[in-house]
Amino acid sequence: MPGFDFSNHTRNAALHARGVPLPKATSTGTTIVGCIYNNGVVIAADTRATSGPIVADKNCEKLHYISPNIWCAGAGTAADTEFTTALISSNLELHSLSTNRQPRVVTVMTMLKQHLFRYQGHIGAYLVVAGVDPTGVGLFTVHAHGSTDKLPYVTMGSGSLAAMAVFESTWKKDCTRDEAVKFCSEAILAGIFNDLGSGSNVDVCVIDKDKPTQLMRNYIKPNERSKKERNYKFQKGTTAVLDQKIITREEIGRYVTVHEIAGSDSDSGSLVVVEKMDVDDQP
Amino acid sequence: MDTLVAQYTQPPFSHEGYTQDEQEDYAESIPPLSLKFALPPVDRPAQFLRAMTDDHSNPDCPIKIAHGTTTLAFRFKGGIIVATDSRATAGNWIASQTVKKVIEINPMLLGTMAGGAADCQYWLAYLGIQCRLHELRHKRRISVAAASKILANLVYSYKGMGLSMGTMITGVTPQEGPALYYIDSDGTRLAGNLFCVGSGQTFAYGVLDALYKYDLEDDEALELGKRSILAAQHRDAYSGGYINLYHVKEDGWVKHGFMDSNPIFWETKLEKGEFSNVTSHL
Amino acid sequence: MASLMHYASLHSENPAYSFSEASTIPHSEASAGPRQHAFYPYTDNGGSTLGITGETFAILAGDTRSTSGYNINTRYEPKVFRIGDDDSSPIVLSVVGFAADGKALKERLDTIVKMYKYQHGKPMSVKACAQRLSTILYQKRFFPYYVHAILGGLDEEGKGALYSYDPVGSYEREQCRAAGAAASLIMPFLDNQVNFKNQYVPGSGEGLSLKEKPREPLPLDAVVGIVKDAFTSATERHIEVGDGLQMILITKDGIKEMFTPLKRD
Repeated sequence: MPGFDFSNHTRNAALHARGVPLPKATSTGTTIVGCIYNNGVVIAADTRATSGPIVADKNCEKLHYISPNIWCAGAGTAADTEFTTALISSNLELHSLSTNRQPRVVTVMTMLKQHLFRYQGHIGAYLVVAGVDPTGVGLFTVHAHGSTDKLPYVTMGSGSLAAMAVFESTWKKDCTRDEAVKFCSEAILAGIFNDLGSGSNVDVCVIDKDKPTQLMRNYIKPNERSKKERNYKFQKGTTAVLDQKIITREEIGRYVTVHEIAGSDSDSGSLVVVEKMDVDDQP
Repeated sequence: MDTLVAQYTQPPFSHEGYTQDEQEDYAESIPPLSLKFALPPVDRPAQFLRAMTDDHSNPDCPIKIAHGTTTLAFRFKGGIIVATDSRATAGNWIASQTVKKVIEINPMLLGTMAGGAADCQYWLAYLGIQCRLHELRHKRRISVAAASKILANLVYSYKGMGLSMGTMITGVTPQEGPALYYIDSDGTRLAGNLFCVGSGQTFAYGVLDALYKYDLEDDEALELGKRSILAAQHRDAYSGGYINLYHVKEDGWVKHGFMDSNPIFWETKLEKGEFSNVTSHL
Repeated sequence: MASLMHYASLHSENPAYSFSEASTIPHSEASAGPRQHAFYPYTDNGGSTLGITGETFAILAGDTRSTSGYNINTRYEPKVFRIGDDDSSPIVLSVVGFAADGKALKERLDTIVKMYKYQHGKPMSVKACAQRLSTILYQKRFFPYYVHAILGGLDEEGKGALYSYDPVGSYEREQCRAAGAAASLIMPFLDNQVNFKNQYVPGSGEGLSLKEKPREPLPLDAVVGIVKDAFTSATERHIEVGDGLQMILITKDGIKEMFTPLKRD
């Protein structure tokens, strides 16, 4: 693998020593859990991403794809969980193509721990790895420094204590799929409501030995925003303007290629929506 | 013997969590201007205070105290002009845009505020009391020199404790004429014709020194004070908000407005053609 | 050289602190003497408060969550308090920051306002109470109360009055103020919606002659709407704000307390 670029390291260390604060990474201050059941494994996560005390994303996705039957829940530095799982997923695909075998959960776990140990904890990824493979069901935790655990039910992240409390009081051996989903989502809810680093919705992923993997995005939405009391539409012309300049399509066409999208020249009501954003509706 | 008896015959309420001093504080109807300040129970209180409040040396300090400022005052033919901005900052946060940094000590005396906002407010109010007491005791108004010296001696007695203030005391008295003093928390006290104080002082000096002369007319002097503050507000991130303008004359001070600097800036730029470094056209 | 340094501080850009320029690092091991354990008596209990005045009323509000770190201490710890218990001169104090300091401050002001009434036979005015609170805070200039206080009431003319304080007692009368963890989220909203900052009257002129939207006191229902929207929005984006919203409304008819639930995640 190409590796990291350390060319700014010495400069940044010197700046930091002089009191310049380091840029804040978005961390998924997070609750993630996993639990095995009689025919597979369930993992779940909350959907809050924070930057210090500020909520950076209210509905982020913390369940990462590794292979069709292996998924990973990530806590810690958002970018590290994202890129580490993507890297391992890629390498695993190549590995399974060259060996002509189904990927195994232990392989993922080993690749992750070796990668993370090499970087001595500087890659802040704390992961729950879960999946099914020809050897059976697998559920592991991997810490940023490279240590791993193999347990029937696991929790990680800042809400791990709240979530573990639920498992320790309600978990049963040899449970069914629905029971495992319930344990996991209840554990996440405990994290959402009792840990400030966790919040918003519950995502669940069920990996069964005999059925295709089911990713249930926003399985529970216990925190929908209430309607605003007032209307915050400003009248046109409210903002002061120093100067204005109109750039025509012909002018801009000299620098970029202009594509006509069907419906764009009729009224604005029939604009083509390329991607819809999840924003609050105005009353 | 008496002390021994006293030791064991304290009224029961004195043990209910309040010290004798606090009991008195509550019982006294007058707020204690007795200068009894609570101190943290540590070896070196000043170092503790600095660790908690000095955002200059430690940007992550837990308690951010409101700071300033650009303030200026100058003597001229028609008296003294005093002008300030109105911004208070706590770290990078603009705590307020509407601070009154000219403190009306009494109808004849003005003080300006730079540094710790609370320090300036509290001690200039204290100075006001002392000036009034002086009037009552001596049946005449205090001189600006004496008033400024009360403050200078006071802050000097707290030297090293962590007070932060840079203030100007102005007024006109029959014996002194228009008088202007600069006092800071180091204990410095200077008489002078022209001072700018605060984080934006250099920018204000730039305009003021270039255009100042003693023989200015009243309206010219007011305009110069205003323009100097505007320059400082433009270039200093810790100064801004409104422009507070005062003119001190023989028969007391006159207020010349608390003006929003944003329209003044655009007026200065678009109608007088100054600040041509700022683009307004696309 | 030392004397030069001294002159430098005299005309430095900032009014210099009168701290000696000693190193903040504890003196070297060699200089012996007993070393004191780091003294850190403060905790940030999070939460936010805000106050808005209208023509004939003042409103103070605060969320009821108390936090330390990533934990919730309790979902109901009021931050807004009645001071003096006198219906003819209602005074309300909100404190945010370190809850223990806030409580001590509130108790102190409360006793003082009550003592004032016993000694003078009349209730304390909001103006007098505001000045007194400033001196209470300044009494601890060298060991500050870790709080941001807002005081509300009705002035001599029956108009809504609001005073905001920094931790050591600098204060100012204002129309609106947000304090605490989400102050930086709420205050710009208030500037825009209460004082109409950055809002102009459409079509009132070109360039410089464009008129600013004139400030006018808002009616009660509008203010309550703004307060609720401020807190529901702050709850969305700040992890230390939530659980419940406590509002205290001060009018000539006395004090009314309201409670609205907020999101608990």
